[in-house]
Amino acid sequence: MDRTRIPRRALAGIAGLLAGVAAGTVVAGAAVAHRAATGALEAQIEATHLPPLLTTPGEQVELRYDIYCLGGEDDPEGTPACDADGTVFVRAGNSGPFREVPLSLDAAAPEGRYVARVPEAIAGSPSGFSYYTVLRSATSGASLNLPAGGAAAPQRSLRLERSVDVQLGAHRFGATRVADSRVAEAAWGDGPDDVGLEQGRNLTPIGGSTFDVEQGGTVTVLDEANKRLLRWRPDAPEPVRVPLGSDGALADMALAADGTVYLLESASTPGASPLVRIFGADGAAKGTVEVAERTASQIRMGPRGPFVLQHPSGQWMPIADAGSPLAVQTQRQGGRAGRPLPGGGEVVLLRRGAEIRAALVGAGGVRRSWRISSETPLAEVQLAEPLGNRLLLVARVYTDDEDEFLVLLLDQSGIVRRFAVEAADWAETAPLARFRLAGSSVYQLGSSPAGLFVDRFDLEVK
Amino acid sequence: MSTTHRFLIAFVAAFGLATAGTAGAYHTRFVADNCNTNAPQALSPITRDSAITVALKARYEGYQWGGGCWNDNNVDDSPNDPTGDPNTGGEGGDCSGFTFKVWRESLTESDAGFWQWNKLRKVHGPYTADRFRQGAGAPNITYAKSALIKMDALASTGHIGMIYAKNADGTDQIIEAKGEAYGTNIWTRTYRGSSSYSGVRRTGWSG
Repeated sequence: MDRTRIPRRALAGIAGLLAGVAAGTVVAGAAVAHRAATGALEAQIEATHLPPLLTTPGEQVELRYDIYCLGGEDDPEGTPACDADGTVFVRAGNSGPFREVPLSLDAAAPEGRYVARVPEAIAGSPSGFSYYTVLRSATSGASLNLPAGGAAAPQRSLRLERSVDVQLGAHRFGATRVADSRVAEAAWGDGPDDVGLEQGRNLTPIGGSTFDVEQGGTVTVLDEANKRLLRWRPDAPEPVRVPLGSDGALADMALAADGTVYLLESASTPGASPLVRIFGADGAAKGTVEVAERTASQIRMGPRGPFVLQHPSGQWMPIADAGSPLAVQTQRQGGRAGRPLPGGGEVVLLRRGAEIRAALVGAGGVRRSWRISSETPLAEVQLAEPLGNRLLLVARVYTDDEDEFLVLLLDQSGIVRRFAVEAADWAETAPLARFRLAGSSVYQLGSSPAGLFVDRFDLEVK
Repeated sequence: MSTTHRFLIAFVAAFGLATAGTAGAYHTRFVADNCNTNAPQALSPITRDSAITVALKARYEGYQWGGGCWNDNNVDDSPNDPTGDPNTGGEGGDCSGFTFKVWRESLTESDAGFWQWNKLRKVHGPYTADRFRQGAGAPNITYAKSALIKMDALASTGHIGMIYAKNADGTDQIIEAKGEAYGTNIWTRTYRGSSSYSGVRRTGWSG
């Protein structure tokens, strides 16, 4: 038999090709399988709810929900088949048995079509009430707890017995305060001292999506497009660059006292929840944590680690405890209405129409609270931080054509300091990342077509 | 060159080719292989809730500038397309195409009716984000931002997103086709207060 001889060297190449194709196919297959698996995690029911976190005496309290059934007909026409219902479990205060209240359909309501009225005896409790809701789709049999921790971490609604009323009147645009100092500044670009800009064809400009300020005045900006932090120390004109292995598009950031960097990335693997990446002060990767819920707005330091504001639960959930990442279930069971403060206590916020309610809460309940009403519409509360016994609050005021940020320092008699600053929001940032309090100064992360800057406004208080 | 070197070079080349489809490859055939140009069907007016259900079908899918076709597998089937090229044939809508399709609008701007566009029907519609912002087209009107509710939209000259829910801190949850790095999803945004954004309402909902 005539046998064709294949040189040994050629055989090595063929073997390499075959092995490479086989290995590559396994890897590619695994990637697809992973995507399919994460996709399969999508719930069959979705719900939204605006929690009445702070109520006032005499207020009639309703809990309203919208429920959407998924996984039904492709491209549903008209009203989709969503045979949903739900039960609210509610109790006075924060302990004891829950009372069941069924949701009823308010078909005429444009929003919050599923409603339960909190019984007067519970809503009127001086310590407020706590509740969770089980929502069901009869179509798919799926159910959903809101908040996700259910009875283990019910939503908390606090009653404001003695609030300080603050009437802002009509806002006068154009009378903004000039900063006391510009403490950091960078042009857009990819140079050593620049901050990068994401800019697709249909995107608003995005760059320098978050920042933080240490008590000593060192400013750290996340330069996400260039995958690094830029740190401006006081009296040092050039920033120090710290490379970060992050894809953190529109990420938010919290810095721990030991320099650990917690980065909340808003864009994640499709079907998966957002990620928190953990880095050392030198930028070395230390780990990742997947947050519990589909949408994460903000990350801030609490007493023992970072908390993330998550939706649809609308709760602050712990992400790590004393440096150890927390599992999704533990996050859910640690959910709370207020943002835990590093020094203890919480800040609870509720913007309702043209009114902002804010409360400083301790172990015994509400310590101080404010009701701030405005004739000019109020948008988001960017910052709410205690400053001694006072509260620093920064909120956006807007009309259809104008907007500015209003800085308010509040005490038990009302307004201590009040001034407006320009919106300076040419580039998009993480949603609630534009202001920080350090010492007795408020810092603003601003931008223009020329670049990014951080301005300092001194509050001139002791 | 040694036998080992030949093996390694061949391995690396073959491995790279075999995995090319999983990341970074944008010469996608998604539209060619999956999408259609079927005629739309006229609908009776739909509810805002129904529109949200349509929008949620696109959640976790891709983003394609100028696009308007997606499936419902919760995977961006054409990741990393060049952002400025509308002809890469990738999965997903862009922000205005997504809004057009979720709002069930007509290709004829004078028609305020509702039209059934299947998710795999490739259509962008006649409106850019800026034209939505101006209230262009018979179904669309500008609307006071402070009065916007779910399935109303906030539009700038370069972007549009629809309101999904309100948050306690005064932000909104927005469902939007955000960009190639983001895909289509629900995020917390502060568009409502920003003077770059205007309020837009699709009229004619049945509830």
